[in-house]
Amino acid sequence: MSVLSEMIKNLLSRPVTILYPLEQVPIPVTFRGRVAITDEKCIGCSKCSLVCPAQVITMIDGPREVEFKGKNLARKKRPQVKLYQCIRCGLCERHCPTGAIHLEQVHGGTGTDREVVVT
Amino acid sequence: MTDPVFILLYIVLFPGFIFLFVYSLFLSFLDRKIVARMQNRVGPPFYQPFADLVKMLAKEVIDPDGVDRALFDAIPLVALAAVMTAFLYVPVTGYSPLAFPGDLVVVLYLMLIPTFALFLLGWLSRNIFSTIGGIRAATQMFIYEVPFFLALLAPAIMAGTWSISGIVAWQQHNTWLVFFQPIGFVVALICLQAKLERTPFDIPEAETEIVAGPLTELTGRRLAFIHLTTELSLVVGSALIAALFLGGPMIPWTLSPSWLNEVAGFCVFLVKTLAVLLILSSIKVATGRIRIDQLNDIGWKYIASAALVQVGMVLVINYLWVTL
Amino acid sequence: MPEVVIPIGPQHPALKEPVNFRIIADGEKIVRLELELSYTHRGIEKAAEQRNFIRVLPLLERVCGICSHSHATVFAKGIEEIMQLEVPPRAQYIRTIIAELERMHSHLLWLGVAAHEIGFNTLFMWTWRDREAVQDTLEEMSGNRVHYNMNEIGGVRCDLNPAQVNAALSRLPSLEERIKKYVDMVNDEETLLLRFRGVGRMSKEEALKYGAVGPTARASGVDYDVRRDDPYLAYAEVPWNVVTDTEGDVYGRTRVRIGELRESVQIVRYCLENIPAGPIRVDAPKNAPKGEILSRYEAPRGELAHYIRTNGTDKVERVDIRTPTLANWTSVAMCLVNQNIADIPVIVAAIDPCLSCTSRLTVTNRQNRPGVAVVRAAPNGRSLPGSEGEEKL
Repeated sequence: MSVLSEMIKNLLSRPVTILYPLEQVPIPVTFRGRVAITDEKCIGCSKCSLVCPAQVITMIDGPREVEFKGKNLARKKRPQVKLYQCIRCGLCERHCPTGAIHLEQVHGGTGTDREVVVT
Repeated sequence: MTDPVFILLYIVLFPGFIFLFVYSLFLSFLDRKIVARMQNRVGPPFYQPFADLVKMLAKEVIDPDGVDRALFDAIPLVALAAVMTAFLYVPVTGYSPLAFPGDLVVVLYLMLIPTFALFLLGWLSRNIFSTIGGIRAATQMFIYEVPFFLALLAPAIMAGTWSISGIVAWQQHNTWLVFFQPIGFVVALICLQAKLERTPFDIPEAETEIVAGPLTELTGRRLAFIHLTTELSLVVGSALIAALFLGGPMIPWTLSPSWLNEVAGFCVFLVKTLAVLLILSSIKVATGRIRIDQLNDIGWKYIASAALVQVGMVLVINYLWVTL
Repeated sequence: MPEVVIPIGPQHPALKEPVNFRIIADGEKIVRLELELSYTHRGIEKAAEQRNFIRVLPLLERVCGICSHSHATVFAKGIEEIMQLEVPPRAQYIRTIIAELERMHSHLLWLGVAAHEIGFNTLFMWTWRDREAVQDTLEEMSGNRVHYNMNEIGGVRCDLNPAQVNAALSRLPSLEERIKKYVDMVNDEETLLLRFRGVGRMSKEEALKYGAVGPTARASGVDYDVRRDDPYLAYAEVPWNVVTDTEGDVYGRTRVRIGELRESVQIVRYCLENIPAGPIRVDAPKNAPKGEILSRYEAPRGELAHYIRTNGTDKVERVDIRTPTLANWTSVAMCLVNQNIADIPVIVAAIDPCLSCTSRLTVTNRQNRPGVAVVRAAPNGRSLPGSEGEEKL
């Protein structure tokens, strides 16, 4: 009676539920969480904005001197992401040449204001 | 013991209605906790059934179009009253002061009223799901009531009395009836599971098939009372089985201050009803729901015949006992 | 009781997604079924025509949550064939691993849902607990528990490092043991056998006639599996077996799915141990040459087909998705006749319905044959002009 033995074994052992938020769920390194931009690395190529499937990345004005592959570039624009509309697919991270835009290990965040942005 | 104040306190306070409410909420919590732990989950906290009751009482009562409102209000109350009255005859700390010969039959008939209430509710709600659920409730009642009555008839025959307190007294002088009637005990447990409409017999209220069966159109305090009726039936049913087969709230010795007997009897009552609950919860966890026509098959082929065999055996044993 | 109409849906506790069944029943026996689909039509096929090949894959992934990788892979596979790209073997192996992990999580999910439909909540809790191991593996590999977004035109998005491979391999033995326990439970548990055996029986001829696919058809003895008969990804190199059964009822479908679970564990283990080294993608051109292709794939629910037409630009001209659930609905209508009302959720759950996948636009012949589904077109219920006598999927 496989069901019966399993039932009794479960009754005498700890439940497998993780009591979130008191206990934390283990999050792997590759987790696709909230989008974040490292301003020092961004060269303003607009690739992230072009590949985003949900079209939530717009390029805004952001001049800065950035170093890329040993050369100094004068960046003109930088990206701005609508945080709560991002579907966290990871395409921007995949196509970014410098790794400036990436997905963190933190949960993506939820909210009702659709225009909240991350720069 | 016919002091009216004492009787009133017995009925209302302990072990009457207040104790019944508290104990039923506790047993409901324990049932859900045991089921959850067997499924590897955490389960609800101890105040969950009480919180559910309060929440349901606070909800809005919605009357579907064309439904008889007075009846819809009255039927859950009648069911609740019937189960509460049935508990008064079940011995909790000793013999029930309201006991009289024949109270076993009264208790069994009172316990039948909630199922009638479900059928009526299903019929009166003008909803196809409720009608199907009500018909299933009535069909299921016919299938399990015969073996249930037979299985509870056997202890009455052996003890020679129709009073539950009398059967408990007989068991105190001899031994627990479960040793004489194991088949009857098993049949009574299965039929109790069917009466309480718990898996594998929760056919009238099959959530995935007919939404909520007869309870589909009930909201607010009506649903709260029906829910409470189910939970109270669990207590009354397990107390009945504990009294008839497991010896009731009696210990084999008499202790010196006489009130200690009552306390010890009450503790024994708690242990026995918890044991019955454990068995019922295990049956609930281990099985899935069967169909009504399959229940028809199993009920009449196996369960009813087992009950008949048990009654036959008891009659033979009685005859041999008398002649020897 | 005379004939009554029981409305199952669009909202009903037995259904996870909206679909409208109108069951005409006589007492507890079902006489006829009328079916209306397309409550979740989202216009994905049209939206896919406006996105270039990089941006369209996440969209197509979101056709369904449970078989998301199937849709993305079958599209990527089709476009790669039109472009005549040679995808590196490491990418094929990674795609296979994710595909089989997806099949495992889908079948474990199905087992729990089928148990829940018969009120056996214990098995539901246990299978979903074991499914967490598969989800954790998928999360480590791809970053998300559903919608893995592993595919690109030309390969996969990210690589597997040895730590991930070892973690995945370490989870497989306990999964195998649990699956073996479920095989025992399905064979011994009385109430499960009572509810599943003999319910919704479909013979092999009927399965072929009504176009059933996937485990639904394989349970009736139809020996057809796209992974073997039209091999793609790494399936030609991995040793595995097609699982069929002869029962043809819900019990047979359960056995087929549990058998496929075991096979998937073997495939994943073989791929993880023998994954070739090398690049994980090739550079794909921006535009696809003009062409059309029918790309097929064995999704967890059956044969998934994408018809893709390109016209030399960087977007597709037309993508037409035929999901396995759409093919299986007719068999549900046929199996339900003369069963009990209590069997409705069981038979519907037995095809593993995924209504988000199903909601495409269909135009069907209306014929007055008893017991046959009347499938309506567009969500507003109007028949489309010219629908009499026209059949187009």
